[in-house]
Amino acid sequence: MLVDRRGHTEVLLGNEAIVRGALEAGVAFAAGYPGTPSSEVTDSFARIARAAGITFEYSVNEKVALEMAFAACLAGARSICSMKHLGLGVAGDPLSTIPYVGVGAGLVIVSAGDPSCHTSPNEQDQRHLGPMLHLPVLDPSTPEEACAMARGAFELSERANLPVLLRTTARVAHSRAPVRYGALLPPRVGSFQRDPPRYVPMPANARVMRRQIPERLEAAREWLRDAGFLRACGSGRSGILAAGAPAATCADWLAEHGLEEEVRSIAVGGVHPLPEEELADLCRDLDRLLVVEELSPFLEDAVTLICARRGLEIEILGKHTGHLPHEFEYDPSIVGAAIHSALGVGPAPAEPRPSAPLPGRPPVFCSGCPHRSSFLAARLAFDSSQLFFNDIGCYTLGYGPPHETADALLCMGAGFTLAGGFARVTGERAVGFVGDSTFFHAGMPALLNLVKEDAPVVAVILDNQITAMTGFQESPASASVSKPPRASIEEVVRALGVRHVEVVDPFDLQAAVNAFARARNASGVSVVISRAPCPSHLARGSSQPPAVVYRIDRERCQSCGRECAGARCAVPVTREFELNLVRGRIRGRPTPEAMPPGVAPCASACPLGLCIQGYAGHVAAGEYAEALQHVLARLPLPESVCRVCHRPCEERCVHFEEGEPVAVNDLKRFLLEWGRSQGRALAEEQLETLHDRSVAVVGAGPAGLAAAAELRARGYRVVLVDGAEHPGGLLRSGIPRFRLPAGPLERDVERILALGVEFRGGVRLGAEVGLDQLLAEGHDAVVLALGAGRPRELELPGAARAEPIDALDYIADDRASADRSLLVIGGGNAAVDVARLALRRGVDDVRLVCFERRAEMPAIAEEVDAAEEEGVAIETALRPVEFTTTGALYRPEDGSGPRHAFDAERVVLALGQLPDLAVLGEWGQRLEVDREGCLVVDRESGATSEARLFAAGDLVAGPRTVTDAIASGLRAAWGIDRMLRGEEAADARPAPPRFETELDAGPLPRPPETQPRRRPPTSPPSTRATSFEEIHGTLSESDARAEAARCLSCGRCGNCRACIELFGCPAFREGPDGIEVDPAACNGCGGCVELCPAGAIHAVANPLEDPR
Amino acid sequence: MSPGERYCIVVAGVGGQGVLTAARCLGDAALASGRGVVVGQLHGMSQRGGSVRCTVLVGPGQSSFVPEGGADALLALEPLEGLRARDALAGHTLAVVNRVPVVPPNLVRTRTPYPEVEGILAELRAAAASLVVVDGGALVAELGAQRALNAALLGALAGSGGLPFEPALLLAAIEGRSRPEAREVNRRAFALGQEAVQG
Repeated sequence: MLVDRRGHTEVLLGNEAIVRGALEAGVAFAAGYPGTPSSEVTDSFARIARAAGITFEYSVNEKVALEMAFAACLAGARSICSMKHLGLGVAGDPLSTIPYVGVGAGLVIVSAGDPSCHTSPNEQDQRHLGPMLHLPVLDPSTPEEACAMARGAFELSERANLPVLLRTTARVAHSRAPVRYGALLPPRVGSFQRDPPRYVPMPANARVMRRQIPERLEAAREWLRDAGFLRACGSGRSGILAAGAPAATCADWLAEHGLEEEVRSIAVGGVHPLPEEELADLCRDLDRLLVVEELSPFLEDAVTLICARRGLEIEILGKHTGHLPHEFEYDPSIVGAAIHSALGVGPAPAEPRPSAPLPGRPPVFCSGCPHRSSFLAARLAFDSSQLFFNDIGCYTLGYGPPHETADALLCMGAGFTLAGGFARVTGERAVGFVGDSTFFHAGMPALLNLVKEDAPVVAVILDNQITAMTGFQESPASASVSKPPRASIEEVVRALGVRHVEVVDPFDLQAAVNAFARARNASGVSVVISRAPCPSHLARGSSQPPAVVYRIDRERCQSCGRECAGARCAVPVTREFELNLVRGRIRGRPTPEAMPPGVAPCASACPLGLCIQGYAGHVAAGEYAEALQHVLARLPLPESVCRVCHRPCEERCVHFEEGEPVAVNDLKRFLLEWGRSQGRALAEEQLETLHDRSVAVVGAGPAGLAAAAELRARGYRVVLVDGAEHPGGLLRSGIPRFRLPAGPLERDVERILALGVEFRGGVRLGAEVGLDQLLAEGHDAVVLALGAGRPRELELPGAARAEPIDALDYIADDRASADRSLLVIGGGNAAVDVARLALRRGVDDVRLVCFERRAEMPAIAEEVDAAEEEGVAIETALRPVEFTTTGALYRPEDGSGPRHAFDAERVVLALGQLPDLAVLGEWGQRLEVDREGCLVVDRESGATSEARLFAAGDLVAGPRTVTDAIASGLRAAWGIDRMLRGEEAADARPAPPRFETELDAGPLPRPPETQPRRRPPTSPPSTRATSFEEIHGTLSESDARAEAARCLSCGRCGNCRACIELFGCPAFREGPDGIEVDPAACNGCGGCVELCPAGAIHAVANPLEDPR
Repeated sequence: MSPGERYCIVVAGVGGQGVLTAARCLGDAALASGRGVVVGQLHGMSQRGGSVRCTVLVGPGQSSFVPEGGADALLALEPLEGLRARDALAGHTLAVVNRVPVVPPNLVRTRTPYPEVEGILAELRAAAASLVVVDGGALVAELGAQRALNAALLGALAGSGGLPFEPALLLAAIEGRSRPEAREVNRRAFALGQEAVQG
């Protein structure tokens, strides 16, 4: 660039050629603001300024650059400033007055346009600024010409006493071509003569200046006439007039088709003011003239006037005649087609070749880019309805997936003002992003404006400490700032009056999310400065690969621990769901090193193995269909279970200690109500087609119903036999209606029968049908789900006197009680149910006495509390001693203290039930039983000691709850399927819940600050104690979502793709074994580590070459 | 080719692969050959992993556009980007293509498969006069240096007869643009690329 040898030729970029031309004109001051496609002008000056003895600056914005250059030219230095077309708009204020004042030494403004919007939000024809603002305008067509024009422009400026606009376009600015060097002229700074009337455009002076402008323009026109930028060649009656890049394209096209002589070709380099006479002379002999210029018909209109004024009858062709488009760049096909159609020369355009569309390759943030982490943190801290406003820079890429942080975007600095305008009229908090360089460029006044108006805006400054998009130019706060002191963004922000200011490192994801959350919760303007250096800038000029790259632990990635029995979870994940997973990980992570367990503690404790974080995560995201899929995948009888489940999961919830575990039953119930309102099936829909195998299920309680439903889903013909007329078992006869109303139960049962299960009611085993008979009917297997029909007795003196009755008999007896007082003995759910039912049946004095201490009562604690609220007297830790004629005598469980006598007209025993194997006949003798008479079965398959006989529910040893019974029914169905069809077929459906819950010993997440548990509407004790209506209602949608959002997603997810779908780092890819990191693309930033909900991303030494 | 004709090379690839530098080397070599040259390198937003296409037009002429079907040679640093330049190919085009794909992140995200590389090559073969497929992976393995890949691919272009000037000029241009410590490996890479296609 600084070779001082005339005739030396170098291949230069158009932008570099401009710099060379300026150097040959002795330019002494250069300024500018980078912007594609102009940036290499300032960048070249930055490189050579010191050696060339030039004063140079990257100005803070274009207005500043132009003002600095103007002042420098007044001071006597030939000056140049450079910017893209949009920047000249920013400099519009000084630009419009400088022509009035005039210049000192020459002043050249380089502004690069962008036809086709390659890198800009608009294309604009800046040539119009010439007539509008009285600027001479030069429009080069090649780098060589750009060099010559830059060299001449200073002379033109001085001759005309006007600033000169050297307007380029991307095609010229970014083409490289040989440029022949002229001699360098040393920079020189002349002198300034004080003359305020000349330099102060107060109105009186401005009017004087205005009168001088025509004269100046005439001088410019004269200079342009002789400058050699108006060229013509060829002859003939047809002509082409072209300017800018199309002039080169036309010349090449004519040469390619051998038409240089045949067509008169006129190239106009100085487009304003036009040397009209000379132009008219060049056109005089023509019949028709095609004007080829990009964007607007600037020359087409001008030449039409020129000819009309002179009476030249030339047909002017171009945009107005439809031969050329008004928009976008002209490539050779456009130019060729226009020449052929307008002038009738050259080949006809070729038919466009059809071609299938190809997958696009939109630009993405580089590997290691801090903006990716900043946007992720923002997405995590704000909910999905949050509006984000973005700005101009690399971070504009936040527009696309997976970041989606640009709801609107306009221009430099508008990230703040767009947020401000929205926030001021809607009252909703809005988020605006600007970069560091953009903040200084136009963001400062925008932010001050927000402060002045107290607009509710979170203003985010994405400070990567460099102007990265345009090629790593310094900004005032860059670490590499050429002239200290560096500006401090936070000091500026505070000085502008912002009170809430935080600086975060976006690679510390937890800190960044928390900072965004605090900024969200603040009032008025809050500022987050998200600061980490641009890694591409740091890596510039180095080919050293990172020492550390990241690797994905296969064991943890996409593995939830439930897939062991085969089928992968069928519920798809969504972005919102994954955001919740990451939120949970970030909120609940006890230490940075803590790894989440495979299965969440709650799901480990669930007898059905329901994926609680799965449905909670989808409910929180408002994705109810997916949430419902999670619930129904393993849960027949959902409407019943969501009312009566004893919820062992809640004891493992991270919020349990604070007494407010996530309300799983209420979430399920909300979902089921939603599903019903949507007309959804609420049952297994993926039924295998029937095959030729059949199973008889004996007993239609929860275990039998579950086994029947699951067997039918697996393609079995199922006969369901029960002694009662209607299916339901204990759900129907053993749970009062105020806890489980008839409607939900009937619907659950109906759904199972509707799958195609044949129900035979009123058929008692051992009476109407025998086991041998069922097997003889041709069933391949039988599931015994008879329940436990034999009440556990209390061997005490006086039993004959007291005539105690059994709890289940009491519950099943629908008649109103005539008793005035009732004593129920037992501490389980049946005892509590009896007590509460008694109140509703009009018993005045109801007392529950149990052996256990309060905290150890097997009944659901909330039900015990509710019973007490309703008026049940509860006595605990008392052991019954004997029945009396009026009740029972007790003494304290620990043997101390006096005896208690409780009187009651009615005594009910609720001590649990035992199986009654008598109905099995001689089979009962052959089957293995335990001490209590429960069947001993294989816990995971329900297989008994006899082939083809399986058992489930209360008949077998194990926990006695509705949910456990359902789980054992599902296991028996799976066990039968595996026996009859083999493991492969059996494992094609979701694995059955395991009997042994796999409690993971991993550290429980830390309970973060959380919202209180949302509660459904509940009728008050006073009214409900006399009503058989259901006590609890359903959560509202907003409460359900808020409640679900309390879930921290403590376990891993088998379908998670958060790294790809939320982070979008180009180093991530899907390999044959799952997601992997390409070590060649990983830059070692580690930004992915914290986001991984599975904790599956670890640093490893870079396995790739060390280049040195 | 005669000195009066223009020879058009299209270099296509992914932002970050070194498309601009490869085109500049070709431009330097063309200038050294005494022919005129124009290099077009509109990049803008494509730098960040997007599609990048440069043009190198050797001989007389001013514009940096390669007309439709006007490429004499295509050097594709990546197969899909080679196919994206298919509009420039014609019955006289020599296409030199690195067969190692760079899967666009948007395809990974949306689980859209990258088009079959063999299918891409077949389309290019049909559109061009001849297709030279280079296994960039094997070259890198042999060189032990990813960063020398482009020198090898330029060598392959030279070895396939895709240059309108002496290959030595291109090698000199590559060396002129290499860091001193990378010159040796680039020299080896260029020779390896030449050999690979001359088999």
